[in-house]
Amino acid sequence: MTDVTNLDGAITLVTGAGRGIGQGIAQVLSERGAIIAVSDLDGAAAEVAADALNAAGRTAAAFQGDTTSQDSMDALAAAVLDEFGRIDVLVCNAGVIGAPGYHERTDHTEADWDATFGVNVKGFVHTANSVAPHMRDRRAGKIVNIASHGGRKPRGARAVLGNIQAPYSVSKAAVIQWTHLLAIELAPHNINVNAVCPGTLWTPMWEAIAENRKASDPELAEFTPREIFEMSVKDRMPMGREQTPRDIGKAVAFLVSDDASEITGQALNVNGGAVMN
Amino acid sequence: MSTTPGSRPDGRSSTDETRQLSDKVALVTGAARGIGLGIATVLAERGSAVAICDLSEDASRSAAEGLVSVGHRSIGIATDVTNRASISAAVERTIEAFGRVDILVANAGVWAASGLEERTDYNDNDWDVTHSVNVRGVVHSAEAVIPHMKERGSGRIVNIASHGGRKPRGTAIGQTLGLPYSVSKAGVIQWTHGLAIELAPFNITVNAVCPGELWTHMIEGIYTNRRNVGGGPADLSVRDGWDERMRDTVPLGRGQTPRDIGHAVAFFASEDASEITGQALNVNGGARMN
Ligand SMILES: NC(=O)c1ccc[n+]([C@@H]2O[C@H](COP(=O)([O-])OP(=O)(O)OC[C@H]3O[C@@H](n4cnc5c(N)ncnc54)[C@H](O)[C@@H]3O)[C@@H](O)[C@H]2O)c1
Ligand SMILES: NC(=O)c1ccc[n+]([C@@H]2O[C@H](COP(=O)([O-])OP(=O)(O)OC[C@H]3O[C@@H](n4cnc5c(N)ncnc54)[C@H](O)[C@@H]3O)[C@@H](O)[C@H]2O)c1
Repeated sequence: MTDVTNLDGAITLVTGAGRGIGQGIAQVLSERGAIIAVSDLDGAAAEVAADALNAAGRTAAAFQGDTTSQDSMDALAAAVLDEFGRIDVLVCNAGVIGAPGYHERTDHTEADWDATFGVNVKGFVHTANSVAPHMRDRRAGKIVNIASHGGRKPRGARAVLGNIQAPYSVSKAAVIQWTHLLAIELAPHNINVNAVCPGTLWTPMWEAIAENRKASDPELAEFTPREIFEMSVKDRMPMGREQTPRDIGKAVAFLVSDDASEITGQALNVNGGAVMN
Repeated sequence: MSTTPGSRPDGRSSTDETRQLSDKVALVTGAARGIGLGIATVLAERGSAVAICDLSEDASRSAAEGLVSVGHRSIGIATDVTNRASISAAVERTIEAFGRVDILVANAGVWAASGLEERTDYNDNDWDVTHSVNVRGVVHSAEAVIPHMKERGSGRIVNIASHGGRKPRGTAIGQTLGLPYSVSKAGVIQWTHGLAIELAPFNITVNAVCPGELWTHMIEGIYTNRRNVGGGPADLSVRDGWDERMRDTVPLGRGQTPRDIGHAVAFFASEDASEITGQALNVNGGARMN
């Protein structure tokens, strides 16, 4: 069922929207009337994703941008303003699980700490730095940060995704704290800032996680990455199923709508109940 | 842009307001006034039939008539959530009238026993009444609809907790008088977590909305107490003192309205939230964060 909806004309910048969750968020918001600036490090992927939205009768444009660079984000915000005139909604989604080669390592390296901190934390800060002044001038705006339920407090005797996951989880906890603090800073300017914490989704990111587990756990050697993913879902999700990028998009759609105008500084898990807050 | 009554002037909503809950059936407890009435109104505007269940028959009916008079489907049912038979009968009446219950909103709650305007400390009655309405009443309400929802293989339960049920922080944790209430609301959140796990295999989601502060009878009682026993500004009316406090202590600088809580309930009750269960969401202008 396609919901006919009303984010009429909201100019929305989504980072990391060339594939995976970011692409799902862009799809749902555009179906609900938003105009999408599809941004990604991979400019070609952004083009393909924006073309697909336009082909489906929506309005979108592609922008290459690297969130790890403040200059690149400043240029991105300027380019989007040039194209669409304003930015109503910012979705910081671009993220990485670790540094290249992650899927073959059993333990984290300095490079993993740098990559996750650089993209998942500083990348979000850079993007907000570039867009928030414009929102402040207009005294209106909605920011949603894509964190992870892995950024919530762990529970039980085993780290669900192993030790290698530590830098990523720490970076996502930082995203949640950043969301709290940015919300306080921007509340007087009528800007809401919230986080969505996805659970487990079959995107290239989780494919890398599954490959990593396959490489590091002999008991998993005979399984395909997709089977490893499904086992993790069955193990941990009360609702018993994986989430999809569209599920994350629907939560974002709620948080950026006026239905959520009194909600700020909160982090909402969309994870079939696997972690509860 | 939607033409539904109450739609936003700028037409921006997460979903078409007339379709978000079209043809759903909701039962809302404590819905004759305050937050419950705001929730019932939003759910009705978004297409749901609503059973208004509150202590007084007259108040329940007149709230339902208010919705019917603007074209919605609603009935009022005298219900005491502390009494299992009473809430079970309300569920049956709702099924008789509308065919099923898709959505339960357990909203009925109390802040303290009577006489709270004058007391400085809690008494045993406060513990009893907050436990029996806020905790056991929420449990009874769920138990009354669970067999029906399990049989249908779907359902949405939304509990109205409070951000007061979250961990306190800093020195301004409120007066001792509020402790039984906060403890009961922490209980509602934990109940939400536990029930969500139990009901997930049946495709029933269970979530909580944690309101911040709203000018309802409940908040008026709390701030009247503060003013009477000290702690509230004596030179301002109770209402003005509350407004000032909201400006000073809430990041967004204002209290919430019953409709704001209704919007969050509508989201959890909608298809959009099918992957969300066991969560508690603060709707409180950022006054506490989780
Ligand atoms: N997949 C999951 O199960 C899951 C769970 C919880 C949270 N998340 C989070 O959701 C977000 C999206 O994840 P995904 O699964 O879609 O991942 P993905 O790897 O499939 O997609 C990430 C996208 O971000 C882009 N990107 C990476 N670095 C960038 C940079 N420096 N600048 C701009 N763009 C950059 C990539 O090119 C890619 O298109 C991430 O923040 C991730 O941490 C994912
Ligand atoms: N007002 C606030 O600031 C605030 C903040 C956080 C949470 N809440 C919660 O929201 C809910 C509604 O609060 P409100 O402010 O609208 O309060 P209210 O006192 O205005 O309304 C509560 C309603 O519940 C009904 N009720 C009480 N006991 C009942 C019972 N045993 N059976 C059936 N109905 C019963 C009352 O008759 C009344 O109509 C409560 O659970 C409350 O704890 C309120």
